[in-house]
Amino acid sequence: MTAIVWVNLVRLVRDRTNIFSVVVFPIVLILVFGLSFGGTGRPRLGVAAGDGPLAAELVAALARSGELELVRVGGEAEARDGVERGTLTAALIIPGGYDRALAAFTPVELPYVARNEPSALQLGATVRSVVSQATVAPRAAAYVREGSFPDLVARIGRISAPGVTVESVTTGPVRPVQVSGFDVAATSQLLLFVFLTSLTGASALIETRRLGVSRRMYAAPVGSRAILLGEAAGRVGVALAQGLVIMLGSGLLFGVRWGDPVGAVALLLAFSLVGGGAAMLLGAVARTSQQAVSVGVLAGMGLAAIGGAMVPLDQFTGPMRQIAHLTPHAWALDGFAELLRRDGTVADVLPQLGVLALFAAALLALGSWRLRAALTR
Amino acid sequence: MRTILLIAGKDLRQRLRDRSLLLLAFVVPFGLAAVFSVVFRDVDAQQPVTFAVADLDRGPIATTFTGRVLRPLEQAGVVRLRGADDETMARAIVDGGQAQAAYVIPTGFSQAVQTRHKATIRVIGDVDDRIGAFVARSIADSFASDVRYVQVALAAKGGGTPEQAAAVPPPVTVTDLTADRRQLTLAEGFQAGIAVFFLFFAVQFGFSSILDERRDGTLARLLAAPVPRLTIALAKLLTGVVVGVVSMTVLLAASSLLLGADWGSPVGLGLLIVAGVLAANGVMALVVTVARTAEQAGNAETVAAMLLGVLGGVLVPIQQTGGALATLSLVTPHRWFMRGLADLHGVNAPVVPLVPVLALLGFAVVTLGLALSRTERMFRL
Repeated sequence: MTAIVWVNLVRLVRDRTNIFSVVVFPIVLILVFGLSFGGTGRPRLGVAAGDGPLAAELVAALARSGELELVRVGGEAEARDGVERGTLTAALIIPGGYDRALAAFTPVELPYVARNEPSALQLGATVRSVVSQATVAPRAAAYVREGSFPDLVARIGRISAPGVTVESVTTGPVRPVQVSGFDVAATSQLLLFVFLTSLTGASALIETRRLGVSRRMYAAPVGSRAILLGEAAGRVGVALAQGLVIMLGSGLLFGVRWGDPVGAVALLLAFSLVGGGAAMLLGAVARTSQQAVSVGVLAGMGLAAIGGAMVPLDQFTGPMRQIAHLTPHAWALDGFAELLRRDGTVADVLPQLGVLALFAAALLALGSWRLRAALTR
Repeated sequence: MRTILLIAGKDLRQRLRDRSLLLLAFVVPFGLAAVFSVVFRDVDAQQPVTFAVADLDRGPIATTFTGRVLRPLEQAGVVRLRGADDETMARAIVDGGQAQAAYVIPTGFSQAVQTRHKATIRVIGDVDDRIGAFVARSIADSFASDVRYVQVALAAKGGGTPEQAAAVPPPVTVTDLTADRRQLTLAEGFQAGIAVFFLFFAVQFGFSSILDERRDGTLARLLAAPVPRLTIALAKLLTGVVVGVVSMTVLLAASSLLLGADWGSPVGLGLLIVAGVLAANGVMALVVTVARTAEQAGNAETVAAMLLGVLGGVLVPIQQTGGALATLSLVTPHRWFMRGLADLHGVNAPVVPLVPVLALLGFAVVTLGLALSRTERMFRL
């Protein structure tokens, strides 16, 4: 039986493209995903800043205001391009003569380039707020209108007023651990690729049948149960090996954290069993290896998309969130999230492990049954 | 020319009989596009934020905030408002996820402001929606700074009424300039991405089949015929172009008719497809000329198609993130194709996305030129 497992692994390693798609490709994807989602998710405000201390002060106030990311842009054309293409949520243009106009009590208009979409409108409300906070002194100076502008602003700056205090509190359960883009990318890529490679690897089972390896195995003094177990273990072993390589590789290269190691490996093992079971079933049902690869790519990527391994589950709305939990991916993702976000241990992910075990048991049983029929045909 | 058509025709007939082209160029990409369009529909749709308001004061200053600050924002579609009887209820609304934040204006607020005492607006934000809470706080801050302005202005002048001070227009106003949307939705982006990703696999049935013919021994027979080698190479390329154009046209048309994608001007789309298919054929042909055997070629093509695809942002919307990666992705034809599609969006969209089409044609010219100059080694028997 170990020989059968070994043959499966050796066949995987011998083909050099496999090394690429099993090891290198997921790591590259983690890098790309990590960098893309490594962003804060905060709205990005482009700022074309005029010159002068007051303009600089306004930009500094925007930078201080909190949940937005400032991006310097050259001018209105660049700002508009960024906004239209979606690299910026919106952009604020501070014209060249900003300081002079304020000092001369001339009204200044700041163009705010935005699409007519909720997130840009909300950012607009916050930008207006920062502008009105930053221009209290110039406006008060315009009301007083006695003496020079700099003197007035300096004098007004020393006046204290009780004003209105805005006290902000938050409610709801607090997330204790911040999760980086790389962590999210790594878990989802791990699941996507372990499952995808398992499924496309089902073509190996078909090759086994086509090349007559299985017939020769039958001729050897090996029971059909041992052959099935060996094939199953081979499929699971391939999935597990790939998973471990991705886990270790992403940990070493990008410092990805996987939480409690026992819990993480348990989840990976359970998910590999699911992948192996699915591969057995596909390998038994498909007739040609082209069929197996096509169905494998479709199901591997399709289920990953549905299960939240391509776009995070948090972003799903309505019934798609429930539908996602028909896939093993969503359960495994929940498990990894539990380990990472709530510092869970293996005991905390028992429900997820249980569901994955059920998936695995069903697929392995179905797969062995069909494969036995296919092998003895 | 007749010979080119003859060879290409033979190849196409051969491919149609073999199921793998059908699966790779049509069935699998369309299946995935369909799944993506269902899963990712509205994932990127934006909703106005909802704020709960518990006005326990109901005095003139509180009413100014709710009526002159919050209501206009609601009318402009920036926020949605809902009432709350007290702080407990406001908190429950936020906790229950029906609002992203809540304002609580305590009793005695207006009087405190008017008598220059400490007055407080309380903003309760959802801990999981930091942006919503931030927007709520900013709006309150904006009102607070208006109040502070009046108090400071009166103190600075040493006279006047709050009404006189409030009558001075703000020195700086922010005016809206509406921008177009030249961007694919997430679902469209994934559909187009998958189509162009599989295009690079589908065109493998073209140029690289020279190596298949060599493996199967039919290349020797082709070469024995009075046909120049360039003709054979061009015929093989033509097969790839036909396969690519048909596959892309069918996929994008199906996305638009069945999956609700909007691709803009058909003329622009057509040019983009042709330019993209030429570029894909060129890049893959160049990759093939590096390989010695059909198997090596297949492997190199897979690696190239996958790497270029990922870098080009077919699986991740790289272009929206900016930074070095977005710049790097411009070395892939995938990215230019997607950019062309994005350019076709919006009210002022051009009929032809000129820069992306030219960029793709540039890829095609360079790679096809290099590949054709290296074809000689493909014909070594």
